[in-house]
Amino acid sequence: MHFHDDYPEYEKMAIHGEEEGKKARKVLWNVFWLMLIVTITELVVGFLAPEKGWTGTLSLRVFFIFFTLVKAGGIVLYFMHLKHEKTFLKYTILLPYSIFILYAIYILIVEGTYSMNPRFRNKVDKIYFEQQEQLKANAHHSESATH
Amino acid sequence: MAHSTHAAVVDEKELWEGGVSPFNISYGKTMMWFFLVSDALTFGGLLCAYGFMRHRFADLWPRAEHVFVHFPFVKEHIPLAYVGLMTFILIMSSVTMVLAVEAGQRKDKKRAAIWMLATILGGFMFLGSQAWEWYNFIVGTDHGTLRWVWSDEQQRYIQQMIHGANMTVNEYGIPQFANFFFFITGFHGFHVFSGVVLNIIIFIQVLSNVMEKRGHYEMIEKVGLYWHFVDLVWVFVFTFFYLV
Repeated sequence: MHFHDDYPEYEKMAIHGEEEGKKARKVLWNVFWLMLIVTITELVVGFLAPEKGWTGTLSLRVFFIFFTLVKAGGIVLYFMHLKHEKTFLKYTILLPYSIFILYAIYILIVEGTYSMNPRFRNKVDKIYFEQQEQLKANAHHSESATH
Repeated sequence: MAHSTHAAVVDEKELWEGGVSPFNISYGKTMMWFFLVSDALTFGGLLCAYGFMRHRFADLWPRAEHVFVHFPFVKEHIPLAYVGLMTFILIMSSVTMVLAVEAGQRKDKKRAAIWMLATILGGFMFLGSQAWEWYNFIVGTDHGTLRWVWSDEQQRYIQQMIHGANMTVNEYGIPQFANFFFFITGFHGFHVFSGVVLNIIIFIQVLSNVMEKRGHYEMIEKVGLYWHFVDLVWVFVFTFFYLV
């Protein structure tokens, strides 16, 4: 059976004429403009964030992650053509991936806070924090010496 | 694209009885999708690990807008501008790729070749930009930062002026930031490089009429899927390394 090499009949349906090509190209360019606008908006917000005091806020992170997912959707659904594939293929690709990643994020959030426990943290980072303290003390010392 | 008329070609009842692809796509494309799912899991795992470390060392983590501030031929520091340009280059090359796929579906050899060439050029531009970004990160600033580093000779930590970053010391913050930066953007850059190589192979095949003889340009779709995936990963790397 030469299963892998044949080009199934239904794939030839993707072959189209100039008329349909024009429509397809228009959709693709629209997706591109949307992605460009989203990226520029993200960059402007990222540029303004430090002086506006948005840096590190939850809403800023949600904003960035939301627009990242918008861009990812544009790429996967339109550029990778997943929107027009069979429903079963969509689920075969997206469901296992979403389950694994949601699980990884769940573990990250639930177990990740364990190491934020001050008792545990001080033990692990003791050397680092001691060094930083010493560094600060030295810097302060040399500063006061020059004055 | 007349995908709504699938049912007329393959009867739904016979779909799962063998002999035909139940997904209505060819074997090659199915396998490319499955490979991309596994590759996406690798990148997902790496980015989750990055998020974990960043959350854990939140107060020591450097801010990207303090680190990546260089722009070619500009003396002033402009945060985020260069990486914005890189993102634009990669999105643009994704568009040229999808236009090559579309031209292939019309069996338009000339257009397909032109758009493939544009995609390859975009890939090289991105790789060059990334090399430049790495160079600036490794070289660092003129003033540098005082850090404690382990001295093998003295068998103790000594203070040293550090310029730039490598796998063990980092001028801008803790070394973990540099480790994740080198590993994730490096792994992504390697994917871009592989994508460019694949694109060049397909470009040569288009020019030498291989697709013409085969009767279809589906191979462009397959490498196109891979190329869009590379762009997809960059969208996430861009957000989690530079923006958030």
